[in-house]
Amino acid sequence: MNLEKVVFGFFIVLAMTLNFGFFVGDIANPAYHHPYELFAAIVVNLVATVLKFGDRTQIGAIHLSTSLVADLQLIAAGIVWVAMGDVGAGTASASVTVSIVSLSGGALLANITSVILLIGETFMLRR
Amino acid sequence: MNSIVFLILRRLRVPLVTLIATYAIAILGFTLVSGVDAAGKPWRMSLFEAFYVVSYTATTIGFGEIPYAFSTAQRLWMTFSIYLTVIAWFYAIGKIIGLFQDPGLRQAITLAHFTRTVRRLQEPFYVVCGYGETGSLLVDALDRKGLRVVVIDIAQDRINELELQDTQSPVPGLTADARLPDILIRAGLRHAHCRGMVALTNDDTANLAVAIAVKLLRPELPVLCRAEHQDIADNMASFGTDHIINPYELFGEHLAMEVHALGAYLLHEWLTGVPGSRLPTPATPPQGTWLVCGYGRFGKAVVKNLRREHLQTVIIEADPALTGCTDCIVGSGTQAATLIEAGISDAVGIVAGTDNDVNNLSIVMTALALKPDLFVVIRKNKRYNMPLFEQFNADITMQPSDIIAHECLAHLVTPLLARFLTLARNQDNAWANQAISRVAGVVGEMTPETWRVEIDAEGAPAVAEWLAEGRTCTLDALMRSASDRTRSEAIVPLLLVRGDSELLLPDADLVLAAGDRVLFCGTPEARAEQRLLLFNRKALRYVIEGIDEADSLVWRWLFAREARR
Repeated sequence: MNLEKVVFGFFIVLAMTLNFGFFVGDIANPAYHHPYELFAAIVVNLVATVLKFGDRTQIGAIHLSTSLVADLQLIAAGIVWVAMGDVGAGTASASVTVSIVSLSGGALLANITSVILLIGETFMLRR
Repeated sequence: MNSIVFLILRRLRVPLVTLIATYAIAILGFTLVSGVDAAGKPWRMSLFEAFYVVSYTATTIGFGEIPYAFSTAQRLWMTFSIYLTVIAWFYAIGKIIGLFQDPGLRQAITLAHFTRTVRRLQEPFYVVCGYGETGSLLVDALDRKGLRVVVIDIAQDRINELELQDTQSPVPGLTADARLPDILIRAGLRHAHCRGMVALTNDDTANLAVAIAVKLLRPELPVLCRAEHQDIADNMASFGTDHIINPYELFGEHLAMEVHALGAYLLHEWLTGVPGSRLPTPATPPQGTWLVCGYGRFGKAVVKNLRREHLQTVIIEADPALTGCTDCIVGSGTQAATLIEAGISDAVGIVAGTDNDVNNLSIVMTALALKPDLFVVIRKNKRYNMPLFEQFNADITMQPSDIIAHECLAHLVTPLLARFLTLARNQDNAWANQAISRVAGVVGEMTPETWRVEIDAEGAPAVAEWLAEGRTCTLDALMRSASDRTRSEAIVPLLLVRGDSELLLPDADLVLAAGDRVLFCGTPEARAEQRLLLFNRKALRYVIEGIDEADSLVWRWLFAREARR
C-alpha cells in the first residue's frame, strides 16, 4: 500500500462526495444547500487539483483537466452566490439558487469523471 | 518547455496544498467566531467576507477590521490566522524562488530556450562544436559573411564569452558536451536548414564522436573535423567524414606551397580570408638550409614538406627520444651555442615550431642576433600573445587556429571554392600570378566575396527561364550592371562546372547552359547587383538585349506593335 495513493484517492473521492452533498436536494430551495458545504467542496477540489500537478502521462493530463473544470464551476457558483445572494444567511432567491446548484451539478459531473478515471487506472494496474 | 512547467508544478505541490489548507482553516474560523455589528447586535462573517479578510491579511496588506471593529474573540482568531497564513505564504514564496535558483531547473530552462531558438531558425545555419580559438574565429567569419551559426562548447566561460561578442545576428550557444547525440540534435542536426557541422574541439575523440553521430543520423550533412592525430584522422576518413583538418599538416603544405608556388598560396590565402581583410603581402622563403626547432607534430610536418621541396633541414629538438627524432641537434634552440652547433651561419631560414610561444620568440631573437638576414617562420600558439608577435613581425607567422578557420570557411561556405583551390594548386606559378592580378585588378586589394551561382530554377530563375526559351545568355551578361548595361560590375568568374568538366577562369563570352555551376568572386555590392539579374527577368533582358521591357500589358502590346511596323 502506498500512502501517496491513499491521500490522492481520498481527496478525489472526497471532492466528489462533498460536491454531491451540496448538489442533492430541491434545486430551487436554498435550505437544501448550505454555503459551508460549497466552501468545503471548493477547498477539497483545489487540494485535489494541486495533487494532480506534475503527472506527465496522458491519463494524468485528463485527471488534471477534469479537476480544473470542477474548480471553475464551483468557484463560479461561489461567485454567483456572493454577488447575487446573501452568503452569510445562506439565502438566495429561487432563480439564483437554481443557477448556483446547477453550476455545482456540472462540477459534480467532472468529479465523477475524475473518480471513474481513478478506478480505471487502478484496474489497469491490478491486471 | 512542457516538461519544465510540469517540473515546477510538481515541486510546488506541497507549498500550494499548505496554502490552501491554511486559508481554509482561517476562513472557516472567521465564519464561526462571533462579533458585534455597528448596532451592537451579534454578527458573524459570511464565507465571502472571511475570504476577503484572510486574503488581505495573509498577503500582509492589512486593511484593518472590516466591516465592523472586531470582538476579542475575532481578534484572537485573527492573531492566530496571521501567523498561520503569513508563514504559509512565505514558505510558498521561498519555495518558488528557491525553485528558480535550482541549478537543475535553470539548466533545463537554458536547454529548452536553446532548443526553441534553434528550432525557430528560418535560414541556413552551421553548427560549430567547440568555441575555442579556432571556433571563435570561424564563428566570427561566418557571422560576418551573413551566415547563421549555432555554437556548442563544454565550458561555460567560453559560452559567456560568446554572449559578450558583438555579432551581426544572434548566435545561440549552449554549454554542453557535443559528444552526446541528443545535444547535437537539439543544436539542429536534423533541422531542415542545417547546412553543416564543424567539430573543432581540442579533443580529437570528441570530434570523432561528432563525426560518427552526424554520419549515422544524417549522412548527407557535410561534417568537417579537426584531428591532430593521424590514427583518429584515419578513423574519421574510414566512415566518410567530408573533410578532416590537421592544422600541422596543413601548415606544412602551406609552407611548401609558399616555397614552390607563391602565387597559388597567395590566391589561397586571399580567397579564404575573412571578408574585409587585405591581400597579404608575399614573402618568398629562400632556397638553402633550414633550421627547424622543435620536432613535434608541427615540426615533423614542416620538415616533411621542406624535404619534398628538396631543401636541406637541420632539426633541433630538446627531447629526441620522445619525439622519435633520430638525426638531430639536442637542445631547445633558445641558446646561441645550440644554434651555432646546428650551423646557423650557413642557414637561410629558421622555423621556431615548439608549442611554447615564449620559447619560440626567444629562439628567433637569439637566431636573428647571430644572423640578421635569416628568413623567420614562427609558430604562434595562443591568440593572447598576438601583440608580441605583431611587434616581432616575422616573415611568416603560423597560427593553427587561423589555418583551421580559413580551411573550414572555404569548405563550408562555398564547396566550389575548395574545388577551385585544389585545381589552382596544380597550376603553375605564372597562371596563379595572372589570376591574382586579374582578380585584384577588378576587385581591389580587399578580400573579395566568393559565391556560387547555379543556373537552375532555384538559383537563377530568370536565367533558367531565359535559357529555356531558347535564347542565349553569356557569362558576361551576369557581370554587367543592371542600371547601366555598358558598365561592368566588379566580378570575376573563377570556375565553371558543367557536368564533369571544370573550366578555370572561364572567358566572359562563354555561353551559359542550364545546370551550370559558376564560382564568382567580387565585391559585396557587385554580388547584390548580380542577384537582381539572376532573379529578375526584366533586368536580365535589359543587360542582354538593351531593351527596357514595359511593365504593363498595354504598353507591352503597344511596343510589340511598334516593333512589327
